Amino acid sequence: MIFNIQQYSLHDGPGIRTIVFMKGCPLRCRWCCNPESQKTKPEISYDANKCLGKKICNECEKICDAGAIEFSDLHKAVIQRDKCSSCMKCVHECPAKAYKAEGHQYSIKEVLDIVEKDSIFYRHGNGGLTVSGGEPLMQGEFLIQLLRQAKKRRLTTAIETCGYADYPILKQAAKYLDAILFDIKSLDEQQHIAYTGKTNRKILQNFDNLCRDFPKLPKYARTPVIPGFNDSPDDLLAIKNYLANKPETVYEQLPYHRFGVAKYNALGRRYMMDE
Amino acid sequence: MTEEKIFSGQEERILSEIKGNKNIAGLHGPKNRAFALLKRVQGQKPVIDIERGLYFTRSFKETEGQPMILRWAKALKYYAEQATVYIDDDQLIAGRIGRSGRYGILYPELDGDIMGDAIGQLPDRETSPFDIDGNDARLIAEEIAPYWKGKTFHEDLIKALTPKTAALTYNNDKDFSSRFIVNETASFRSSIQWVHDYEIVLQQGFFGIRTEMGEKLRQLDPFSPIDQTEKKPFIEAVIIVCDAITLWARRHAELADEKALQENDLSRRTELKNIAEICRRVPEYPARNFREAVQSQWFTQLFSRVEQKTGTVISNGRMDQYLYPFYEKDIKEGLITDNDVQEIFDCEWVAMSQYIDLYISSAGGAFNEGYAHWEAVTVGGQTPDGQDAVNDLTYVLLKSKREFPLNYPDLAARVHTRSTQQYLAEVAETIKEGSGFPKLINDEEVIPLLLAKGADFAEAYDYSVSGCAECRMPNRDTYTSPNAYINFAAALEMTIYNGRMAKYGSELIGIETGEIDTFISFDEFFAAYLQQQKNFLKHAFIQQHEIIRLRANHFASPLGSALHKLCRSSLVDIHQPHIDGGIDLGYFEFIGYATVIDSLAAIKKIVFEDRKATLAQIKEAMTKNFAGYDILRQRLLNAPKYGNNDSYADELGKRLDKEALLFTRKYSAELGVNLDLRYVPFTSHVPFGKVVGATPNGRLAWTPLSDGSSASQGADTYGPTAVLLSNFATKNYQYHERAARLLNVKLSPACVRGEKGTKKLVDFIEAWRDLKLWHIQFNVINQETLIAAQKNPENYRNLLVRIAGYSAYFTDLSIDLQNDIIARTQNEAI
Repeated sequence: MIFNIQQYSLHDGPGIRTIVFMKGCPLRCRWCCNPESQKTKPEISYDANKCLGKKICNECEKICDAGAIEFSDLHKAVIQRDKCSSCMKCVHECPAKAYKAEGHQYSIKEVLDIVEKDSIFYRHGNGGLTVSGGEPLMQGEFLIQLLRQAKKRRLTTAIETCGYADYPILKQAAKYLDAILFDIKSLDEQQHIAYTGKTNRKILQNFDNLCRDFPKLPKYARTPVIPGFNDSPDDLLAIKNYLANKPETVYEQLPYHRFGVAKYNALGRRYMMDE
Repeated sequence: MTEEKIFSGQEERILSEIKGNKNIAGLHGPKNRAFALLKRVQGQKPVIDIERGLYFTRSFKETEGQPMILRWAKALKYYAEQATVYIDDDQLIAGRIGRSGRYGILYPELDGDIMGDAIGQLPDRETSPFDIDGNDARLIAEEIAPYWKGKTFHEDLIKALTPKTAALTYNNDKDFSSRFIVNETASFRSSIQWVHDYEIVLQQGFFGIRTEMGEKLRQLDPFSPIDQTEKKPFIEAVIIVCDAITLWARRHAELADEKALQENDLSRRTELKNIAEICRRVPEYPARNFREAVQSQWFTQLFSRVEQKTGTVISNGRMDQYLYPFYEKDIKEGLITDNDVQEIFDCEWVAMSQYIDLYISSAGGAFNEGYAHWEAVTVGGQTPDGQDAVNDLTYVLLKSKREFPLNYPDLAARVHTRSTQQYLAEVAETIKEGSGFPKLINDEEVIPLLLAKGADFAEAYDYSVSGCAECRMPNRDTYTSPNAYINFAAALEMTIYNGRMAKYGSELIGIETGEIDTFISFDEFFAAYLQQQKNFLKHAFIQQHEIIRLRANHFASPLGSALHKLCRSSLVDIHQPHIDGGIDLGYFEFIGYATVIDSLAAIKKIVFEDRKATLAQIKEAMTKNFAGYDILRQRLLNAPKYGNNDSYADELGKRLDKEALLFTRKYSAELGVNLDLRYVPFTSHVPFGKVVGATPNGRLAWTPLSDGSSASQGADTYGPTAVLLSNFATKNYQYHERAARLLNVKLSPACVRGEKGTKKLVDFIEAWRDLKLWHIQFNVINQETLIAAQKNPENYRNLLVRIAGYSAYFTDLSIDLQNDIIARTQNEAI
């Protein structure tokens, strides 16, 4: 299950890359900028700015068998998520493409054919495929096959992971990787649980194992710096100390941004950082 | 830690000025002289200087009946004797051809017939306005314009065109203004973009050329009627012109002497004496050092503008190549430093920027908004023997471009497979500065095409970028006739309206290809469109035939011919249709490429596949400009679009390209030239859009068409790699009848931030090169900056943006074009 394939990605590994975003994530980070990546099942997002409004168009209402679409006082659609069966008819019918299906099934060949379209941009600067998410390791078997086939096509590969997965899957995947982008969000377990919903123990253990088993694999350890969560000097120092002697590890901090806020509205969810 | 806004160098400079930082010049080190010169002229509304028009008119009155090339040479000589000469305070470069500030000059041989009326409207024209002195306006109306009435090329061309061709070319008004359908550009300029062989001036001087011509004169057969009536005037004209430019340069020497006498500042007095010495030496004799070489080239280039109105102004050629021997020698001998060289260049750029390419006709003004003249300077590329040509001077030119924020010259960087990482990185760093320079031209596409047209390897490797996105081989190219710009979005409209257009109602302008409701398949509709396309091409080629035939009687270029080996050997003027040994490379322009592709794709998808609307409904919606048809318009807007590496649209684009190529493959030989298919609009996609009603891609009536080979505004949603791949996918590499495709890419400064960003921009450029695309240029700017500049123009007078093969001040552009640039898709870093 994939929710997006993004060409011309510049900030997630070396060179010019194509990112395959896989759907489903074990964490629920409050600041997550890709809320559409969290659930494993396909869902529908709705962009009120694109919608023509009921006064002009109600094609979605007409086509919806479940009666899940109502209109607000501003004549914009409101999806009744409890009634919606995710049949995607509104997505196909909407003339303005205000509805979007988040999540599609792809075969490995389909994914790689799309990725390979940009191959001329990978040649210089060591660009290639980055699998991100969601959490790519959550769809372990698909991921491992995808990476294996990618190597067969001589694409350079990377994944972007939160690190929360069973180690055997990570280990299998790492065999087909040229680089890994690995989030180290906080060393404070309680904070980690409070802000992401999961402990960091498994994550740190995985990173230790990875360093032991793949010392030569280039690793980009990354911390999204989130106000109130891990932005104190002590928090960040602790992470730096933890990473100090890790092999082939580059450390980056990523600034907090709010680009994802609109997506919460589109999915009918609340943005937890504002609560 | 929150995400901060990333700005380009140019944006930072402007923001700092807005905050009250006056000491901008100080930011750039020892560049105060050029900045001071620039401050005096920047942002001034251009004025018209009539001297060139006046002296040409007076001379032409005296030479009626003589061979055209002699008349032209005598007019230049008269100008050289009479015109005011200028050396600006603090300038190191002597010579201007108009009054202080920003100035434009007149070419009444082109538009004298409409000049009298038009001149009154220039100060208030929406696109590219000009001021004029009252007394000068009177001289134009009473002396200049009346003489040319009935004598211009424009008037002859109108008479020569058959009604069918004329109906696609001109409005039926008293000025025969452009209809922007099959648009001729031959009557608002006397030549297409061009570049001289400057090397001969630097190496031999005009004295050398004069000597060669003297020898030729002695060799003429005294009994041959051809020798005596055709060749002899050519030789005499070249000799006169050599004398004219020499005299003109010497008058600058005299002025410098006079100024030196009056000058109290000792160091300036020394400078003026030095200028006097240089102007006495060049361009008559070979240059002996770097300063002389620069002045010699500048005089030559400047005098060329006096000679004739070359489209996009005479280009400067490969400056880093022909100046290099002088630079190398002076550096070795310790006579100059890189800083001195940069200062001299900066001074020359200011002098360039003071000249404004004045178009009297509104069509000319609309084609070249922002007072565009290109002043192309080429750097990089390969040497005639195929080695990498980059040298230390290349880097000085790039550095000057980064540090001196000016829209001239239009720097073009040639790129090839062995371009070094340092060169590419410095090119990328210069692009990152954000004012749109340099544009890139791809040796891997251009050189094979030049070879296919018959050039030798050495000539092909040595090409210069010329004008907007074109390339010239000095001493081998011999074609100068300006070419047709064809509005194929209008052809699409005519397919819908059965040969008619929304703007012109019931008038049958094209051909009748059937009422809209008679097409029962997409293939039928597409076939009808292709008939309309072919009809436009037919009339464009007819037009071109007449242009080539008539120009020979109206224009001559003794200076341009003096600087062309083949003209000197055959003793034929460069404006004659045939010159022995020449390669004739012309073009025709496809305007509205993405507009047409997207419209066809939308019809195919919405009408014939999804069956959500009929052709008749689309026509109805178009006539209403989609009022009341929002649902249909949204469906059309969301159909597949060119620029997304989507074969659905791209295959249609490839077919359009192929059909146009096949036409020229078959018929351009009859014109005796290679007319190649090109996608370079300047700013014409804006005026062309103004005559086209709503189109089936959801575009609203009278708004700009797509530009060049770029996607429709905002339609490319898969990032810049997809735009490049769509370009690649729509080209027919099996044919050689193609020329430039202009490609705009807008990046946010965050995309190219830091050393990593430079590297990734280089990666992108290398992929562009490997795809064998002809041209690319970048705007590195934040969307907010453009919007702020539109709102508060007074704060953004010096904001440069890339338009179409050139950069211009954003606030000099019409609102339409400003909006068009804002609407180009911004590529954010993911």
